[in-house]
Amino acid sequence: MSLLTSLAKLRALQEGRAQPIATVRHCHLSDRPMVFIPLKLSGEAAAPLAAMFGTDRQAPQLLVVAQPRNRDLRFAFTADLAGLLLPYLESFLADTETVERKNADPYERALDAPQLLLPNRAGVAFTALLGRSTRFRRTDGPYPVPEGVPLLGRWLTYLAERAAYPGSSLTLAVTEELSRHWASGQSALEDANLAALMAWVEGRPSDEAEDPLVWPPAGPATDPGFDSEVLAPAIENGSAERITEALRTQLEPTWRLMWQAADLLRTLPEGASVAQRWELDRGSYSGFATQLAEGGPPQARRDGAVAAASRLSRMERAQASYDVQRAYDDPLIMADHRLSGEAFAGEVVQTEPDNFEGEGRSRKLRPLVVVKTDDPVRLPPGSALGTPQRKGQGAELVEAAGGLVTLKITKGMGRGKTPAPGSVPEVGERVCYTTLTDDFQGAATLPEPEATPWTHGGPPLEYVPNDDDAREAWE
Amino acid sequence: MSDRLDQLERRIDELRAGVRRAMRARDAVTARALRADLRAAERTWDSLVSSPVQTPGGKRAGATTVRERVHQALDALGAPAQPRLIVAVSEAFFSGGLRSAQLTSIRRDEERSFRSSPYGRPYYLCAALTDRLSPARGLLTLSAWPLERRVVGPLSPRVDFLTCAAAVAQHIQRSAGPSPESLRLVARMGRNIPGGELVELGKDVDPGRVAEMALAELAVHLDRDTRDRAELAARAREQLDDPARLFGAALLSAANVGALGKEGITA
Amino acid sequence: MRRIDALRGTTPPKPHDARAIAALAANPGCARRALMDGAGVDKDAAARHLGFPAPFGQSPFAITRGNQFEALVKSDGCAELLRMLRELLELPIAEVAYHDVENVGAHLRHAHTRALFERAARGEHDAGTLYDHPLLSLDIAGHTAYLEPDVVAFQLEGRFHIVEIKSFAIVDGQADPAAVAAAARQAAVYVLALRTMLEELGHDPLTVSHDVVLVCPENFANRPVAKLVDVRRQLAVLRRQLTRMTTLDRLLEELPEGLTFDLEPGEDGLPLRRAADLADALRGVTARYAPDCLSTCDLCFFCRNEAREEGASDLLGRNVRDELGGVASVEEALGLADGTRAPREGQEEIARLLRGAERLRQDCLA
Repeated sequence: MSLLTSLAKLRALQEGRAQPIATVRHCHLSDRPMVFIPLKLSGEAAAPLAAMFGTDRQAPQLLVVAQPRNRDLRFAFTADLAGLLLPYLESFLADTETVERKNADPYERALDAPQLLLPNRAGVAFTALLGRSTRFRRTDGPYPVPEGVPLLGRWLTYLAERAAYPGSSLTLAVTEELSRHWASGQSALEDANLAALMAWVEGRPSDEAEDPLVWPPAGPATDPGFDSEVLAPAIENGSAERITEALRTQLEPTWRLMWQAADLLRTLPEGASVAQRWELDRGSYSGFATQLAEGGPPQARRDGAVAAASRLSRMERAQASYDVQRAYDDPLIMADHRLSGEAFAGEVVQTEPDNFEGEGRSRKLRPLVVVKTDDPVRLPPGSALGTPQRKGQGAELVEAAGGLVTLKITKGMGRGKTPAPGSVPEVGERVCYTTLTDDFQGAATLPEPEATPWTHGGPPLEYVPNDDDAREAWE
Repeated sequence: MSDRLDQLERRIDELRAGVRRAMRARDAVTARALRADLRAAERTWDSLVSSPVQTPGGKRAGATTVRERVHQALDALGAPAQPRLIVAVSEAFFSGGLRSAQLTSIRRDEERSFRSSPYGRPYYLCAALTDRLSPARGLLTLSAWPLERRVVGPLSPRVDFLTCAAAVAQHIQRSAGPSPESLRLVARMGRNIPGGELVELGKDVDPGRVAEMALAELAVHLDRDTRDRAELAARAREQLDDPARLFGAALLSAANVGALGKEGITA
Repeated sequence: MRRIDALRGTTPPKPHDARAIAALAANPGCARRALMDGAGVDKDAAARHLGFPAPFGQSPFAITRGNQFEALVKSDGCAELLRMLRELLELPIAEVAYHDVENVGAHLRHAHTRALFERAARGEHDAGTLYDHPLLSLDIAGHTAYLEPDVVAFQLEGRFHIVEIKSFAIVDGQADPAAVAAAARQAAVYVLALRTMLEELGHDPLTVSHDVVLVCPENFANRPVAKLVDVRRQLAVLRRQLTRMTTLDRLLEELPEGLTFDLEPGEDGLPLRRAADLADALRGVTARYAPDCLSTCDLCFFCRNEAREEGASDLLGRNVRDELGGVASVEEALGLADGTRAPREGQEEIARLLRGAERLRQDCLA
């Protein structure tokens, strides 16, 4: 957590209202998100109990496992869930654009993609487990399950994995997104409670949010008091209506909160790089759907050494890129870097647009800009700089002293003898320069999986789900 | 009617909240009172909203009683066993229909019957005896068995498990078309016997192999276990009257502990 | 009466179970909790009386599931457990002797446990391998706390291990880290108790391994799987905290004369004294609230409320507190940020940073 965020939290505590820590929205918000609130049976790893979900806030769907210990009913639940979720997940595949690639065949990318909104990180983790427990199931053989179950399992696995991918918006944990944009006056632990966090953002914090009688937990765990006083007697009684109604009372308040949270996030204008990241999401979504269509095997239980290293490296690059993009999109996030001296902002007080360096053939146009700033600049001369105001422009720090920073523009001002119009900031313009840049080195060089060294377990056996995967008792 | 339902639902919600509030304040008296009201309201709601609820599961096999089915299973196993295993064996080889819950009070009922008219029944379902000669928790035996089989020393739980596994396997070998339940049971038991690591759940399993493995490990423990049991049985004959021999002596108090057992107590 | 007992007053000390003892290690810096636990005060009852009942509860489904899984692991003469121990620690085939300490009367179980372990530690032939439901004890600030673990201890070639059976799943080799950490803390309590017992009996306490055997369901089946968990770190924290609790004298000396947390009940079973009076007494001892308390301490809501009244930056979590370089109050930190408060000595750097941060926030949000 940065000092700016800490300060915002202090302010929130003092004012009794969460404080903004972003000026734009850094996630994509779909016009038609799928809000998904799963509940699980306490004490079990992945036994679903109920789910409220849907794309229409006026018409939530409710599915319930009326006898949660009955394995067949659990599969019937996932089959029903598949019947309702799969059409949504697949509905974006029809409309596509053709993407040309260098040295590779062009491919089709969906114009839009599904978006799963879950209440919290625990909900994402449960979605992953639900995916894990269903994707190896077989529709034939000794323990057959209904058609859609393994397919849904693969989708849920994919979507839960994307939630861990920095900058991806295919699956969002709403408390996480809210905390990325607002600082509440409570700890991160308490922020995981959707009702409590929403109350802070709406400026009416109250301990009621922690009272399970007023605000049932947003799942996937249910309130132990509810379990013993309401659910257990209802299960004992065996009345499906009663169980359904009881679970509805636990889900409806969260359902309303989820849509309110989406409304709140929507009040923020979308950050400039969000569309670019969503494009990656759309590509990933199309790629996954293609794998499914081509009959690829379900995701392995665990990655091999090379796959794990390459995943880690992809994630690290995505994280670095996401951090830089957010700073470029949002002055409030750039402020963190200004505070630490890696960026500075101020007013242009002097320019020398037709400054040249070198002689003869190596004579180059290097416009000079002097910026007056109050920020503590801790950068040595020669530092390479970029600027959110002119993406693609490169500059180099010449000298910084007494609140004045001189820099020269090295890239992105045209090839002529004079700078392209608008490429050099005017005197009086507010500008920000930073050492953060989004052009990272390419992918780490990793061996092909077949060449995995013995120190890393040697080449992995190709993953073929076996009978055990399919039969694994689910009881 | 829907007005009435709405009203009931509101009342149920209030009562539920009340109960949970009382529970949180650990106010058991209020909670109990509210819970009673709540159950009543819920019953009314149920009767208004749905057709009468079916109670699940009629008895499967007609005439046999619970005690007969337990006897059948124990007789097949030939060693002291826990309710869980008795239920599984009944399910695998006989009519099934037993539930563990039915077995929790059975020993007490048998003891009561024995005390009111001793040996009035051809057999009794009775206790296994520990090295304190008290009833062992959760084990059932048959009165017809020799005391040596009904007492349990330190090695006996393992010996009895292996005996049971061999018995289950041999029972399958003798039967014409083994049930899926019996194959699952023998696979589950076989997995926990050395050499059975490769037995996979749900895969076809060779009962003959499981019996062999069980008997092989049994050979390792049998001498010592037989000695221990003989010693315990002799002590039981010496010290216990008839009902206690069948159902175990009451747990010992501090005063008479010193007299018993090779372990001695150093308290 | 000892000063520490006077602190508890007329009610009998609340027994500590392993869970409670494990929780002692969670916030070692809190004097309020050290004193209340040392005195054996019923913190749960105190919290209720104060109007801040603890937010803990366990679902009946979770309890049932836990019991069922434990029964499964121990059924058929611990058949599943023996298979796992043979695989994991190469337990020889002949080592199967099982002693259920619960077969003796409750009042004798501790003595019986000692006798069994004495024989095992002396390396007596046929001393046994598995000990179910041993009754162990630990000294907590002068009180003996009895621990009735649902665990099995087992010995192999004179070395003892604690087996902890938990019903959370290990899926594809991974389990919920918080659940594993809690299990490790609890197992460390048993390891320490068993070591203490052996030491009292004149044996080397280190024959109790710091590697405990954790047994959990694997994946989504009921099939149990065993893993070794090293609890050395948890042992070190626990030992340090227990030592601190035996030296509460310094804390006790600082207490005002006559201070007591007495919860003497009236006829209705509720404490006689007024809640406000109890709250005042508690405020006489410094707490160290942290959001982590919300998952470990019965008094958490009371202390959180107190932290709010004091405007303490502790409310926001340790990392905020660290970020603030130890500035303890919200008002002070905000005063430094907007320049209405002059930094005290040693606060110059954090004040400069806070002013910078405030200026930047204003700049961006204007």
